[in-house]
Amino acid sequence: MAVLSDQDRADVAAQFMQEAVGPIPILKTDVRAAVDALDSWYNTNAASANQALPPAARAGLTQADKAFMSNLIVNKRYVKGS
Amino acid sequence: MPPSTAFAALARRNNHFVLAYDATTSESCDFESILSRRYGGGGITLGIAWMAATATTGAVVWSAQWERHDTATDLDADSFATAVNSAAATAPGTSGFTAYTTIAFSNAQIDGLLVGEHFRLRVTRLPADSGDTMSGDAQILGCECRET
Repeated sequence: MAVLSDQDRADVAAQFMQEAVGPIPILKTDVRAAVDALDSWYNTNAASANQALPPAARAGLTQADKAFMSNLIVNKRYVKGS
Repeated sequence: MPPSTAFAALARRNNHFVLAYDATTSESCDFESILSRRYGGGGITLGIAWMAATATTGAVVWSAQWERHDTATDLDADSFATAVNSAAATAPGTSGFTAYTTIAFSNAQIDGLLVGEHFRLRVTRLPADSGDTMSGDAQILGCECRET
């Protein structure tokens, strides 16, 4: 999968600014740069993350389910109240 | 009164009602009143009390425009005068603090409004302006109109 489109990245940045708890000590342009960088990182490391899965999950789960699992883990680790 | 599209949403912050203006999409809200009969023609300064929803840095650019409602204006269509923009207004460095920003209008910039006439004042955030750098919503607490 390629990186997100420019519009998708803009949508992510907008949603982040709407829903983040804050305080946010960076500018709009910094938010967008962070979104771009993270999306690029995910793109670069997607194959590596997939290889980290045990064979059964790697073969049996869909890409969407793997992404959902990753989301749950990140939220549980880093998002307060999750 | 919010416009039918692209309007600032009414929100609550610690039981204060605020109008939340988005950081990426230009949004507006309309305020309606009658120009005080004590106005002497010296121009009007709009004062905006606002907060940053989450940001502690950056700036917001506000814009405002007047619409006179005299006996010859058809209110079934908009007829706002040219908008006047604020300078880039810096967000407070502490979340929850209030900032005060003004926009000065000459008498010629208030759409020919006369004392005793009803009007609409549209207040807009301009997130596409190069000076609007603040992330997150800008929340208006209230507005004041006083003679300059």
